[in-house]
Amino acid sequence: MAYSINDKCNGCSACKLLCPVDAISGERKEAHHINPLRCVNCGVCGRVCAQGAVLDDQGQPAVRIPRKQWPLPVIDAHLCSACSMCVDICGKQALAISTPAYKGDLRVYAVLSNPKNCVGCSLCAQICPLGAVTMEVQLS
Amino acid sequence: MKVRYADIDLSTGQVRDYHLSEDIVRLYLGGKGLAAYILYQELAPGIDPLSPDNILIFNTTPLTGTGAPCTSRFNATTKNVLTGGIASSNCGGSFGIKLRRAGYDGLIIRGKAPQPCSLMVIDGQITIQDARELWGLDTEQTQHRFDRKYGCVVIGPAGENQVRYACAVSGERVLGRCGIGAVMGSKNLKAVVTYGTRSLPINDPETFRRDVQHWVKALHKNPTTGEFLPRYGTAFWMNIVNRHHILPTLNSQQVKHDQAQRISGEYMTEHHLTRNSGCVSCPIRCERRIMLDGKEIKGPEYETLGLLGANLGVTDIEWINQWNYQCDLLGLDTMSLGVTLSLAMELSQRGIKDYGLNFSQPENISIAIEKIARREEPFDELAEGSAWVAQKYDALSFAIQVKGLELAAYDPRQSQALGLAYATANRGGCHLDGGYPVYFEALGPIAVNGHTVRGKAALTVLMQNLMDAVSTSGFCLFTALGSLPAALFKFKENSFVPRLLGNIIISLPSTHWLWRLMPGLMPLNLPSFLPHPLIIRDVTGMKMTLGQFLQMGERVFNIERLFNIREGLDRQQDCLPERLVSEPAELDKPDTVVHLDKMLDTYYRIREWSNQGIPSPRKLKQLGIAN
Repeated sequence: MAYSINDKCNGCSACKLLCPVDAISGERKEAHHINPLRCVNCGVCGRVCAQGAVLDDQGQPAVRIPRKQWPLPVIDAHLCSACSMCVDICGKQALAISTPAYKGDLRVYAVLSNPKNCVGCSLCAQICPLGAVTMEVQLS
Repeated sequence: MKVRYADIDLSTGQVRDYHLSEDIVRLYLGGKGLAAYILYQELAPGIDPLSPDNILIFNTTPLTGTGAPCTSRFNATTKNVLTGGIASSNCGGSFGIKLRRAGYDGLIIRGKAPQPCSLMVIDGQITIQDARELWGLDTEQTQHRFDRKYGCVVIGPAGENQVRYACAVSGERVLGRCGIGAVMGSKNLKAVVTYGTRSLPINDPETFRRDVQHWVKALHKNPTTGEFLPRYGTAFWMNIVNRHHILPTLNSQQVKHDQAQRISGEYMTEHHLTRNSGCVSCPIRCERRIMLDGKEIKGPEYETLGLLGANLGVTDIEWINQWNYQCDLLGLDTMSLGVTLSLAMELSQRGIKDYGLNFSQPENISIAIEKIARREEPFDELAEGSAWVAQKYDALSFAIQVKGLELAAYDPRQSQALGLAYATANRGGCHLDGGYPVYFEALGPIAVNGHTVRGKAALTVLMQNLMDAVSTSGFCLFTALGSLPAALFKFKENSFVPRLLGNIIISLPSTHWLWRLMPGLMPLNLPSFLPHPLIIRDVTGMKMTLGQFLQMGERVFNIERLFNIREGLDRQQDCLPERLVSEPAELDKPDTVVHLDKMLDTYYRIREWSNQGIPSPRKLKQLGIAN
C-alpha cells in the first residue's frame, strides 16, 4: 500500500514540492494525486499537509509535524566508505561526498552538504549497506 | 529466486515478460552468464550483428542495488560486431540499480525501431518514445535531456553511424567494448532510460551488513584496493607495466617507452587530479576527476593512456585527456580506437596507406576521431576496426587484434599466460575476459615468471573462471584483486618471496586436477578471501561455496564458448597476431614471443575441450549446461 490524498486537498503543492521521489502530481489549487507505483511510504507528504488530506499506507490520516522536528541523517564518518549509495538515492541533492581535506587525502565520506534540502525521508538510512546513516531529530 | 526480464520488440513496439525458470537463475545468477544463456537460446546463428535480427540484452544481478561492494555494475550482451562471436560488456553507474528499482532485472531488446527512439523503463512501465530530436546529439547533451535522477544508457554520433567499435555511455561510465553502441545505433535506439523506487530484497539483512562491513575494511586495508587504485587510479600500473617491458608502444613494435612516466597515474595525480571518485556502491573509488578547459570531467583510465598514449608514441597527457573526453562525447571505445589508429600509423610508416596519421604526432588525431565517429573521408575506413583495415591492406600480421577485437594495453610477449588469455577470451582479445593473469605475471605482489609457459594454461583457466564468476555476480573485477593478503605487498618487487610464491603457483603438480574436483575441494567461505559467495548467500539465500562460485564462472565461460563455436569460431580463431608470436619483443632476446602452440593443447585438455576447442559433452553435463 502507498500513501494517498483525499478530497480535503486544496492544491497547495507543499507535498509535491517536498516529495523526494516526485511521486505527487497535480496543478496548483487542484486536488493532488500520489502515484502508488512510485510512493516509498516515507511520510514526508503527510508531515507537511496543513489540511490533513494525506492518508498513510494504512489509510489513516497522517499527522502534521513542524519542520524543526523532522529527522535528519547523521553519518558515522568512521563507518562510511564513501560508496555514494545515499548520495545516489537522495532525490533532494542534500548529500554529497566530502571534499578531501588536503591534496592526496583519501579519507572522504558522505556528508549532509545541503541540510535545507533534506526532507527527512530516510531513504539514505535505509539504503546504506554499512548502517552508517541514522535519522535523528536535531533538538537545537 | 525469481527474476523479471522484459522482452521488447522495437519493430512492433510489443512488450512482454520473458520467462526464466528458477533453476536457470540458480545456475547463471545474472549478468553476463544469464545473458549468454538467453542469447544462446534466442539468437539464430549466422545473423549480421548490425541487422534487426540481433538481440541486445541489458541485465543486472540479484546483488545490483543492494549496496554490496562494487555491485552497481550492469551488463550488456549481444552478438559481437567486431568478432561475430559473443559480446559482453559491463559498466558502473546507477543505470542497473534504477532498472532493478523500476521492477526489472533485465531487458531483452529485439528488432529495429522505424525511427530513432528512447526506451523508457519507468516505475515498471515500459514505453518506446520518439527520439528524433535527440539524434545527432553527443552523449552528454542526450543525457541532459532526461531528468537528472534517471539512469541512462545512450549512444553518441559514433553509435548512430554504426562505427564498429562504438560504445554506449551511462553517466560518465562506459560500455566500452565490442560495439554495443553500434548495435544500439543499428536498432535506432538512442537511449535506454530507467527509474523506479521499489526496494530490493536482501534475504538476511543483518548478516549482509556484517559481511559488507568486514569486506569494506578488508578492501581498504589491501594496498591495491585501499591505496594504489584510489590514489593513482588504474594508471597506477603504467610505470610497473613499462618496467616489465609489456607496454605496447608504436603499435607493439616496442614494449616500453622512455617517457611513460608522463602518462602514469603518479603524474596525473601530481599535475591534473582534482579528487578521486567512484561508481555507486564502490568503496575503492579508482575514478579520476580532472579539469579540462575549466570543467571537471572524468580522467582517462590506464588502457586509454596506454593505447592512445605510448601506443601512438604520444606522452603528453593533455592530449589524451582531451581525446578521452572527446571519445566519451562521441561514443567511441578508446581502446579499439587506439589500436586502429596505431595500425593506421604503421601503414603510413611502411608506405602502404597514408591517412595523414604518424607516430608521435598528436596534432591530427582529434580531427581523425571526429571524422571516424561521423564516418567522414578519409577516416571512414578506420570506423570498421583494425581487423577490417588490416584485411584490406594485407596487414593482418601487425594488426594487434584477436578475432577482430583489439588487444588491451599489455603486450603478452613477456607475459605468456596473458597471451593465452587473449587468444582464448570469448569476446576477442580482451585482458579481462581472458582472466587478467598479467596481475600475477607483472602487476601484483606475486611474481610469476612471465617468460615461461610452465603452469600457464592452468593459471589462465583458473583466472578466466574466477573473473567470469565475479563478473556474472555483478561485482567489479577489482574486488578479486583485493583478496590477496596485504602482507605480500611488503616484499620488494621481484624479490625472493614473490618469486617463490609465483613458482609455487605454476609448479603445483597438475593444478587442473584440483580444478576438476574444485566444488568438492573448496567448501571454504572466508570473509576476507574472495567473500563473493558469502555476499551472494546473504542476498539470495542460495548457499554457495567458493568452489561452486568458481564452477559458475566455468559454466559461463563454457556457454559463451558454445555460442562462439556455433558462430564458427573455433581453434583456428584462438590465435594471436603474427607479430606477437614471431617478432621478439626485445631484439637481444629471441625467446620473447608468445609460445601459444606450447600452451593451447594443455589449455584445451584442462578445460576438457576437444583438440579443436569444442567443449566435451561430459564437461557440459557436469556444468549443468546439457542434460
